[in-house]
Amino acid sequence: MKVLCNREKLREGLAITNGVIPTRSTKAVLENVCLVATDDTLELVGTDLEVSVRYRIDDVKVEEPGPAVIPSRVALDFVRDLSGETVTLETKDGNCFITSGADSCELVTVDPDEYPVVPRFDAEKQLPLQGGILTRLVNQTSFAAAREPGRYAMHGILLAIEDDCLRMVGTDGRRLALSSTPVDAGKGEWAPVIVPAKGMQLFCRVISDPLDTIHLDLGEHQIGMQTQNAEIFARLIDGEFPRYAAVVPTDCEQSLEADTELLNKKLRLVANVTGEDARAVKFKLKKKELELFGQSIGRGEATAHMEVAFTGKAAEVAFNPDYVLDGLKNCEGDTVRLEFKDRTSPGKFTLGENFVYVVMPITVDA
Amino acid sequence: MAPETDHESDSESTAIPVGATPPAARIALLPDVLRNKIAAGEVIERPASVVKELLENALDAGARQISIDLEEGGARRICISDDGRGMGPEDLALAFQAHATSKLTQLEDLDHISSLGFRGEALASMGSVARCSINSRPAEASIGWRVEVHGGRHEPLREAGGPRGTQVEVGDLFFNTPARRRFLKRTSTELGRCLDVVQRLALAHPGVGMVVSHNGKRVFDVESSMDLRARVRRTFGGELAAALVPVSGQDGPLRLFGFIAPARFARRDTSRQMWFLNGRFLRDRVLVACLREAWRGSLEERRQPVAFLHLNMPPEAVDVNVHPAKSEVRFREQRRLFSFLLRTLREAILDTDLATPGERLLDIAQRRRSAAAEAGALLPDPGGLPRGAGQASSEVREVPGADVAELPQLSALGSLQESAAGHRGLVGSGDSAADSAADSAPGAASGSDDSEADTAAWRARDDFAGPFLQVDRTFLLRALPEGFEVIDQHALHERVTFEEMRRDLAAGALESQRLLVPELVEVGRADLELLKGHFEALGAVGLELEQFGEGTLAVQALPARLRQVDCEGLVRDIIELLAARGRTPVAEELLEEVLHRAACRASVMSGDELNEDEIRSLLRRAREAGHDQTCPHARPTRVRFTRADLDRAFHRR
Repeated sequence: MKVLCNREKLREGLAITNGVIPTRSTKAVLENVCLVATDDTLELVGTDLEVSVRYRIDDVKVEEPGPAVIPSRVALDFVRDLSGETVTLETKDGNCFITSGADSCELVTVDPDEYPVVPRFDAEKQLPLQGGILTRLVNQTSFAAAREPGRYAMHGILLAIEDDCLRMVGTDGRRLALSSTPVDAGKGEWAPVIVPAKGMQLFCRVISDPLDTIHLDLGEHQIGMQTQNAEIFARLIDGEFPRYAAVVPTDCEQSLEADTELLNKKLRLVANVTGEDARAVKFKLKKKELELFGQSIGRGEATAHMEVAFTGKAAEVAFNPDYVLDGLKNCEGDTVRLEFKDRTSPGKFTLGENFVYVVMPITVDA
Repeated sequence: MAPETDHESDSESTAIPVGATPPAARIALLPDVLRNKIAAGEVIERPASVVKELLENALDAGARQISIDLEEGGARRICISDDGRGMGPEDLALAFQAHATSKLTQLEDLDHISSLGFRGEALASMGSVARCSINSRPAEASIGWRVEVHGGRHEPLREAGGPRGTQVEVGDLFFNTPARRRFLKRTSTELGRCLDVVQRLALAHPGVGMVVSHNGKRVFDVESSMDLRARVRRTFGGELAAALVPVSGQDGPLRLFGFIAPARFARRDTSRQMWFLNGRFLRDRVLVACLREAWRGSLEERRQPVAFLHLNMPPEAVDVNVHPAKSEVRFREQRRLFSFLLRTLREAILDTDLATPGERLLDIAQRRRSAAAEAGALLPDPGGLPRGAGQASSEVREVPGADVAELPQLSALGSLQESAAGHRGLVGSGDSAADSAADSAPGAASGSDDSEADTAAWRARDDFAGPFLQVDRTFLLRALPEGFEVIDQHALHERVTFEEMRRDLAAGALESQRLLVPELVEVGRADLELLKGHFEALGAVGLELEQFGEGTLAVQALPARLRQVDCEGLVRDIIELLAARGRTPVAEELLEEVLHRAACRASVMSGDELNEDEIRSLLRRAREAGHDQTCPHARPTRVRFTRADLDRAFHRR
């Protein structure tokens, strides 16, 4: 293989594939990036067997087509620190030379046949979507996905396409974020899928321009996405996802609207006093006023007040402030709406158009 | 006629006239001699039982100094001399009669026995199986008397001179019952048992001096002025004695005092667990259970704590007339007693140092500094002779005095003391003086006060600055003054979570995080029924369960402090616990147990990588939690190694 390409484009490609490639793997070959040169394109392939990515660099000069499998991290670091405008990649005697001007390095290669086969995007039916919208949906839901060991399905984000609407749901069993966007789903039937949250975030990283149209393919075992010059696939999680529709409350009696920024500030203020592990902040609602009260045995207590628009009876409910703050951070609008029924029922935060966040309350003396 | 009856009538032929008619009367009263011989089988089993009975008599007689002379492990000769009240001729004449006693006169006396013996069987039994004699002179009499019994044959009472008090001599034990004699073990074993009895009584009666000699050599002694800690030191060595933590409590007429040893001294058996009820050594199941319950959560199951405890209570509150050896008793108000003991013991247990090897870390530094300074001031003993010196010499005397080949137990004792002395030696030369000074101090507990204050001061100063080393994502290492500690991150996190939840529970503020979607756990019908009765109690610890169809359980809410909960595992643990507890789990106990399990199920597992901030916050929380030396399952959370341990490991000394 011998290829001449733009250094910046190569760096970008390596950075994207490197996001997928594991730094330490039980299979050493996975720590490499696979470069394939064909007529006028250089393709970079990386995989950790859960998520796989193909990144295509056009406008390269292929002098000798062929593959090369080289250590990913070293290649990225070296290319990043080079100063020339173009880079030459060349394999010779089992080694790969990266040269730019007078500077060069020589990397050990691995037999390309050892590298796992990564699929190609060729779905019959595809869902077109604006890249920026996908990114938004992922950001609005992935923060709520579970990180701690437990029910495996909750480590993923649910993608469901129904009624010309793409919904994404993230939950860890204590809170749930649901965000949706209208799409043109065509006639096809799409079964809901669960995608690892990490995989979903890698999808977003591949999207270079939010205005570009991307294509999604929801397969039986994997989800694929195609952008201008990348294809990315993630293995699906096989499991049962909580029935999100049943979780979002509909019979809320209390409803308040508050300034997002102010609520964020006041809540953080009170949360400073609550403990590290067990944290509950009480939301006490009276006419036009919200009182936030936090308490920690052996530390002290804190109170904050703010004006809110409130309908309903005076009521009280307690939440883990971390959960609420996570939601507020992703809030789209200047105001946030909180609806709930009583102290043991879920609180429903409306954080934007088509963006709902449900948090289960904390109860004391059950 | 059955052969057994044949045999019986043979042996009783002296008493039963052999009649011509076959169904003659076969039941007859036994003659006194035979009766006593049979009773002796119960009361007098081996030389050690003789020593016990005679020592108790001497103590009941108010002796302050008792000497015990043994020959051939007590089988040839046991001679016990005391300086007690003594007996006049009338008493002596009756002494060897069965059921003759000075300790009871009427039925009501049985309800409040304050003496050690009371049955009046012991001397009569001895008299029937050995050659016994008693010399006695009451303090007020100018002349003493002597009485002798040989295998049940009474010699006439005669006058005899002698010191004030009583000397009882029991020779040729079991000379007329060869079967019993054959059951005696080797001399060293029998001597060991005798010593065991003496040592126990020595621990039970501080204030009474005892000297044991065997074949003319002194093998054990305690001075009358030695307190309990000093007696433990003499009996079990200095390392144990120095580590003892005082116990003290009073509830009306109930009084508990003594010592418990830190967990690292715990053993497989209860042989170092000594309860003394009004001066009587006891092996009572209730008390053993009480001690174990008090240690629950701080000591691994199956390990038995070491303790030396005196329990004083009015004689009428306890029935000692239950067991012939009187080692079991029945308490009248068991519940109240139990809760009093538990409370007092737990207080003391919180004071013990549970970090496994070595001593309290700062004790060492403290002693090294203070010993030199204080030694001078402490040495002159108000009692006259410097006791520290006398004690040291008696320790030295004991070791060569023991015949190593013949007395394995004793030599073990000696080497234990030796090693203990070696251990202390490494601390500094002035150390032993400071130690014995601590012993002679009244109350015997004052020795560690300063260093405790020092430890506390250091704990307060400790800012957990690090650096930390995480080993295999399981253990944390950090330096301490004069050493380092290894922390089991899972165990510590478990304890911290548990203590915080317990604190929340006590404050009525246990928070419960509700779940969006209940977690379903299939448990089966039987287990569901079992659980159903406890939904409310479990709700109080923040665990909200509901029935969900047949045989399935829905977990609706979990304690908010718990992260990473494995619901299914938790529910299974609880079922197991309820099943094991049977039908009547005490609510409080149940909660505590569930907290244990819950904390464990949701703790940082070994294998989690922790960054420095996380480590620091864990340690800080551990300090706030207070009780952090073991995990709720009583595995230690941290092990400390001192400079001395390192020195030893590198053969630097």
